[in-house]
Amino acid sequence: MIDIKAYVKKTKLWKSIFRHDFSDTPRTRLLRVFGNVFLHLHPVRIAKDAIRVTYTWGLGGISFYLFLVLTVTGILLMFYYRPASILAYQDMKDLAFAVTLGGLLRNMHRWSAHLMVVAVIFHMVRVFLTGAYKPPREYNWVVGVLLLVMTLFLSYTGYLLPWDQLALWAVTVGAQMAANSPMLGNEGPFKLPFITASNDARFGLIGGTVIGDATLIRFYVLHCIAVPFIFAIFLCVHLWRVRKDSFSVQTGEKVDVWPHLVSRELLAAMLMTVILLVWSLLLNAPLESQANLNVTPNPSKAPWYFLGLQELLVYFDPWIAGVVLPTLIVVGLMAIPYVDINPKGVGTWPKMRLSRGGWVSVDRPFAVSVFMLGTIMWFVLIFIGQYCRGPNWEWYWPWEQWSHRRLTKLTLKNIPNLWGLALMGSYFLAGTPIPKPAKEKIASIAGPGGPAKFSAALHFGLGAAMAIALFMPILIAPDADYPMRSKYPTLFESLGRAINAPVVSAMYRLVQQAGPAAGYAVIAGLIAAVAGILGTLGMAFAKFKDQMYEQLGPVKYAIVMALFLMMMGVLGKIVLRLLFGIKYLFSLPMFNFNI
Amino acid sequence: MDQANAPAPDPQATPPPSEPTDIWRWFDERFGRRQLLLKSGWAFFWMFLGGWLLSNLRYLFPNVLYEPTLSFKAGRPEDYPIGVSEKWKKSQRTWIVRKEDGFYCFWARCTHLGCTPNWFDAEGRFKCPCHGSNFNKDGDVVAGPAPKPLWRCAVQMADDGQLLIDKARLENRPGPREQGEFFLPFKSA
Repeated sequence: MIDIKAYVKKTKLWKSIFRHDFSDTPRTRLLRVFGNVFLHLHPVRIAKDAIRVTYTWGLGGISFYLFLVLTVTGILLMFYYRPASILAYQDMKDLAFAVTLGGLLRNMHRWSAHLMVVAVIFHMVRVFLTGAYKPPREYNWVVGVLLLVMTLFLSYTGYLLPWDQLALWAVTVGAQMAANSPMLGNEGPFKLPFITASNDARFGLIGGTVIGDATLIRFYVLHCIAVPFIFAIFLCVHLWRVRKDSFSVQTGEKVDVWPHLVSRELLAAMLMTVILLVWSLLLNAPLESQANLNVTPNPSKAPWYFLGLQELLVYFDPWIAGVVLPTLIVVGLMAIPYVDINPKGVGTWPKMRLSRGGWVSVDRPFAVSVFMLGTIMWFVLIFIGQYCRGPNWEWYWPWEQWSHRRLTKLTLKNIPNLWGLALMGSYFLAGTPIPKPAKEKIASIAGPGGPAKFSAALHFGLGAAMAIALFMPILIAPDADYPMRSKYPTLFESLGRAINAPVVSAMYRLVQQAGPAAGYAVIAGLIAAVAGILGTLGMAFAKFKDQMYEQLGPVKYAIVMALFLMMMGVLGKIVLRLLFGIKYLFSLPMFNFNI
Repeated sequence: MDQANAPAPDPQATPPPSEPTDIWRWFDERFGRRQLLLKSGWAFFWMFLGGWLLSNLRYLFPNVLYEPTLSFKAGRPEDYPIGVSEKWKKSQRTWIVRKEDGFYCFWARCTHLGCTPNWFDAEGRFKCPCHGSNFNKDGDVVAGPAPKPLWRCAVQMADDGQLLIDKARLENRPGPREQGEFFLPFKSA
């Protein structure tokens, strides 16, 4: 037996394939890595701290492994799947019931797609929190964001292929967002004069005016060939740059990649495989009834990773929630390494301390807090979409029973444009810093206490402006939805009876029951309180803003502040919608331009 | 020559080169006669490549569509009771509304992001299952994110006495939508 092994190892054939022996010597450990095309992506030696599981959690590698699983299962599924609307759904059923292991493969494909989205998002959060995007790794962060976008786009295109109701309506909504893109969409703001439903962005995406066979083959090609092709190119760049830009951790003694890193990778891959297999054996991938272009399931929910976007679409006009905000999120993520000039916090998880405002990072308080706030907000939106929305996308608490016959008469109203502009204007003006020269000038005019007084006047003034611009139109403005009526009800009357404007209806009841004198006095107090809270918030950040302006300079400061204010503005608009029943702050219907 | 021993430069004798000359020289070095062929060659190369790649965008916009026809006959008007009929929603994606004095027809497509709303008789509203837009019986938005009223389709009386609905001709502006081809006067006998 041993003789045969020894003989085989001496043959020309064996030697032509395997260039080195397999004894565990330092030389072979090196040879294994750089003598192998698949392993040579690794360095041969690596810092011990860089491969600690609790540093990376293996999330990048797991994402890559899931991409491989998806490729293999996807190729296998392609043997049975035919992208035509009369065949696709039947092929899904065949895969589930008539093809040996077909159901398992489809389950694995679907569940690993979900897992990959999770892994890629967590990988991004990990890279952010450990500061691994900081110079010289800025560009690789940008490539990583593109890979995240492509992961989501792959999920989106793959979603249509089963041709069931879930698929069709998720894609209908997604494609309709393209029709709302500015200028190039038939229903978007400021559309160009030659744009119609049969040549706009949506038409190009779905290959027609309605979703049909043309859409199916388009998404099939995108999902199976085009996007994976581009994805693979960017993946190469991403992995290559990880090597070239060096790892974010260089501490600890150097160890051999074979076996220390390779074994970890193998373990992670095995763990993922076990999880996927068990998950796919226990739980079938969802398949609803066959797609019907005319009837929408009620409620119709996107897959969980798009539910945040779907929930956002409830609060904003489609061109904002569907086009502007996703673009801003992606561009904002890409901009992070270029506007974050703080060199601290690379290669370690942030050390947190309990400050007056809560848990903050010691080295990167602003960056970590804002990024985590954004991430958590995104998942809160997903939670709301998943657990708080029932039939007709109405609000149901998670413990409430859904009813398709619940009587609800929701009402939303627009704030008149000028008031809305004043509200948004004073909100964004609150981001203004008071730079040093301005402070000196103020001090020279008004004495040493001048700058502090000016800052207080500015912030409390803007707080008051915001509070007044929000409450005054509700109290006095006519309800523009009924232009034909001789006597206009005010927004206060129409929103005060609305069940989805709890703040306004409480104010309204107060005036009705306690009488105008007491009621309006309390409301005035409420306005003053809101103004005070907003002003105090502004004051609390005033010093921080000025410091940040000194450090970042005008351009970076403007980018950071604009992105931050828009992120918080999303939260603000959600509050206005849920508590005040306000639909638009600014609306130009003839241009399809609504905010 | 030693720098320290050099006479101080006379500002009158050698005037510093004026700004426009410098810009012109810079321009001449980059895009001048010597560079003309090379630069124009590259310009044509990139223009050709870009134009060729961009032309494939046009390729993605089909010229012939194989889509279902947008008009259908919806039966005799006498057969509709007063109110909103969901009869055609499943097959033709329309609601036919009969009022005291006539007919109009909605295209059952939410103006927000294109889902099909449902009619709720108790509240007198169309409610969309995707993002919660509500429309009243006139098709006007009363709640939710939809930016525009529901579209109404052209309704005509065909020669055989049936309603003829055309989903290709749409109108949603108050005023125009209540007249002409978008409203079919019909009095019950």
